[in-house]
Amino acid sequence: MISLRGVSLTYANGVRALDDIDLEIAKGAFVFLVGHSGTGKSSLLKLLYREMTPSAGNVFVDGIRVDTLKRRKVAQLRRNIGVVFQDFKLLAHKTVWENVAFALQVTGARTKDVMRQVPRALDMVGLAHKSRMFPSELSGGEQQRCAIARALVNNPKLLLCDEPTGNLDPSNTTEIMELLQRINLKGTTVRVATHNQAVVDRMRRRVVRLEDGRILHDDERGFYFGGLGQTQVLSG
Amino acid sequence: MDWGKLKFFLGEVFTNFTRNAAMQVTAIGTVAVTIVMLGSFLYVRDTIASVGSGLLSKIEIAVYLTDGTGAAKVTAIAAKLAADPRVASAEFVPKREGLRRLQQVVGSDFDTSLLTTNPLPDAFRVRVRRPADVPGLAAHIATWAGVAKTDYAADTVDKLLRVVDVLARIGLVMIGLLVFTAAIIIANTIRLTVFARRREIAIMQLVGATNMYIRMPFIAEGMLAGVLGATLALGVLYLARIEVIPKLAQMLAFVPFQANEGLLALECLAVGAAVGMVSAWLSVGRYLRA
Repeated sequence: MISLRGVSLTYANGVRALDDIDLEIAKGAFVFLVGHSGTGKSSLLKLLYREMTPSAGNVFVDGIRVDTLKRRKVAQLRRNIGVVFQDFKLLAHKTVWENVAFALQVTGARTKDVMRQVPRALDMVGLAHKSRMFPSELSGGEQQRCAIARALVNNPKLLLCDEPTGNLDPSNTTEIMELLQRINLKGTTVRVATHNQAVVDRMRRRVVRLEDGRILHDDERGFYFGGLGQTQVLSG
Repeated sequence: MDWGKLKFFLGEVFTNFTRNAAMQVTAIGTVAVTIVMLGSFLYVRDTIASVGSGLLSKIEIAVYLTDGTGAAKVTAIAAKLAADPRVASAEFVPKREGLRRLQQVVGSDFDTSLLTTNPLPDAFRVRVRRPADVPGLAAHIATWAGVAKTDYAADTVDKLLRVVDVLARIGLVMIGLLVFTAAIIIANTIRLTVFARRREIAIMQLVGATNMYIRMPFIAEGMLAGVLGATLALGVLYLARIEVIPKLAQMLAFVPFQANEGLLALECLAVGAAVGMVSAWLSVGRYLRA
């Protein structure tokens, strides 16, 4: 599903965010990407949905070479990738329903499909009963579930989560991680970037640990630290 | 037709449009002022053009033949004139007829019967299709065999042509500057809405909306500002048309105030819409590339 080969990323200011990363992630996997802040977790996710392009190396997502993708094909790529952020990125003046529908509407989806898929996505995250509320009327966990529904409404093959529980309390965190696991069970590759150690250690999924732009360790059923360390989860 | 899609699109445009109401008013006002100037200019230009072509169409080239040119030669010259595409009509005026016309013009002030010989040569009176051809054609005919000289109201024609030309140039430059100003103000207004909507745009890009799709509401917004401004301007121009023109027409009785008003209105609307669309396109484009 995801394949990074010799990927390096150097910022314009000379900072080396990623240094010769090789990484393979199978279809249907659930992977945590962990590490201290500033170790290149978010940058790595951004390479996958073409928010950034690597300075060296190749990036493949679902068989498509992303790093050399033409600008006008990026939109099509992103319809197959759902992204969830720490700060939710919901639109405050739109209701839950409108926020989720927005993701379909701006890709030119037919109204018929919008009417069918939005309730399904809201059902999956358990927010159907709050579809007419505005984000400000929801708890943090509910806002993140809304954001996940928006990321899922396109039926993406890959779900990327950048610190999805960074702003949430422990009970909301558990709720979100369980939701991500359910989504993963339905066949979506999930990749979560996180530094929440408890989350990673409890779930015992594949853990890729980044440090200073390099992969420090990569365990199939790992802990946050692999014995030590910090975690990020990439969900896809 | 997918009404849900249309409703969503129009909703987006409307939200955009009302978000920076004050700037929109400025943009619409600038377009309106520009279009009022443009409309007035086009009206004046049409009027001057019709005055000019009215005068010019009356200008004839007098082709004086060498005395004693034979009838065969006269026929040949008539045929050559008729064959020239620039010539609208050519009338042969024999010297006797010329004298009779002169008598009509000068009337009783001068008794032509006092003349012992007819001093006038045979002549052609040539009318052209396009006033601008007059100088060239006159010079050309003057070189023909059997033609003594050609004559036309040289100064009048040249000056009129030059005045019309200069007026058109000044007008175009002024309107170009105004259109440019309007475009900048619309572009700035759109940029403010783009800025206000940067979160929406980021999310749109994230979920895979094409740049074209992201652009469309802004372009519609720019077009709306342009068309509203132009409509406002046409209202003002219409008032001017019914209030001012009749008074001017009374004062300047010799000027035929006429223009193809329907066409002018359409031109103004098209300019307004185009200015709005193009400036919106450019200002969003810059943002999307960043």
